[in-house]
Amino acid sequence: MIKEFFIVVSVILSLAGFVLVHYMTHNSISSQEMLSSVTKVTKLSSPSLSVAYYEPRVLFYEEALNPAYPQMQTINKMDLVYEQ
Amino acid sequence: MNSNAFLHFLTLLLFKQKGKHIGAVLISVIIIFLLSSVLFISSSLQHTLLGTLESQSDFTVSRVQAGKSINTPLEWVDKVLEINGISKVAPRVYGRYFFAPREESFLVVGVDLFDEQSSKELQSLVKDLDLKSFLSTESMLVGEGVKTFLTEHYYKEYFSFKTPDGKFKKVKMFQTLPSQTNLIANDMIIMPIELAREIFGLGEDEVTDITFNVPNDAEWDNIIAKLHLLFYDVRVVEKREIKKAYENLYNYKGGLFLILYLVTMITFMLILYQRYSMVYSTERKEIGILRAVGWSIKDILKLKFYETAVVVLVSFVLGVVLAYLYVFIWDAPLLSQIFLGGANLPNHVEFVPVLEFGLLGSIFLFYAIPFLAAVLIPAWKIAVTPPKEAML
Repeated sequence: MIKEFFIVVSVILSLAGFVLVHYMTHNSISSQEMLSSVTKVTKLSSPSLSVAYYEPRVLFYEEALNPAYPQMQTINKMDLVYEQ
Repeated sequence: MNSNAFLHFLTLLLFKQKGKHIGAVLISVIIIFLLSSVLFISSSLQHTLLGTLESQSDFTVSRVQAGKSINTPLEWVDKVLEINGISKVAPRVYGRYFFAPREESFLVVGVDLFDEQSSKELQSLVKDLDLKSFLSTESMLVGEGVKTFLTEHYYKEYFSFKTPDGKFKKVKMFQTLPSQTNLIANDMIIMPIELAREIFGLGEDEVTDITFNVPNDAEWDNIIAKLHLLFYDVRVVEKREIKKAYENLYNYKGGLFLILYLVTMITFMLILYQRYSMVYSTERKEIGILRAVGWSIKDILKLKFYETAVVVLVSFVLGVVLAYLYVFIWDAPLLSQIFLGGANLPNHVEFVPVLEFGLLGSIFLFYAIPFLAAVLIPAWKIAVTPPKEAML
């Protein structure tokens, strides 16, 4: 095995080792707990989507509006009319 | 052949012809990097959101009129409480406040701070929060995105909300929510529930919707039926539906990128195959020489296999490591906007590291097998031809 090859392999292995150490030692529990606390306080778990005003921000509770006619009903809501 | 001599020859060959391999490694690293980055972001978001969803209530009910959700009467809380098997009934007041001059919006959430559970959670979330002084003035807690936006627009300490009756409501920015909560609370404003009602013009007997839990899963369908018998103008949203929505939201994006990845991969393999099977390529000459000096077909295939395997492994590890650094250390600038949007307030999210080894294994197989095939098949075709003919 030539020296250059050995150096390249060592560099790549040490990079992979760094990633594994970061992954094993990262405290993901505290981040998850903080997000859960926000959900417990606000009772909302929807991601903070950076969307325009006519797009749904709180997933599943808001419907997308037509940007040209924001007052117009969305088509997927028509089923409720037929159900009644 | 002596294995040490073979290894020495293999590594020597790799470095002597590095110009030939660098191109293949570079393209492979870019492809693996992009695919791994997208999959890292989607699995991290999915994992975090599904974990957060556990803390949300099982059901939400709201009043509908002409297919649209409208304000829900507060008296529904008592009616819902009468149903057996229901617990933790709580009203919610929230909505988007549109900041017209810049066409941006915030999510204003009203919280009942006299509820012991909510106040405890809020105090554990925001360190050094003095609830007494928070409640003594009209104050709010803002997400990092809101804070940055308002500071840029010279609202340093207070912000004036315009209520539906045309009056202005001056509210103090009490504290900022921790940056770790940006995934959910970047554009969020948390304030007392009465203040939120005033800003949205809701009556004292109105709320946005009502949430509750049903501890016994087997009762869920029964409870939905009871709710529909109790109210005719009701919309019930289950946690199960939201869970599916979250899964689909990011699976779709992962799937879309997977298709693009396949297209790119096939194109790359075709280019490789074409290069190795060219009539006057250096590959042909090299294999011809090796055959002429006495190498067997097996030895040549072994050499090509190990040569390609080194290229594949180096590119894969480099691509995955770079993707990890990009997503979990540098928080995926640009690419995160594809998942979280960029039309409203800019969101700087810290992704929680999630590695799905099964997924990484699949990427490796989908990448390594076509790569090896694209090199070994033409190499075998050349190796089986007589050396004299191959070197022509």
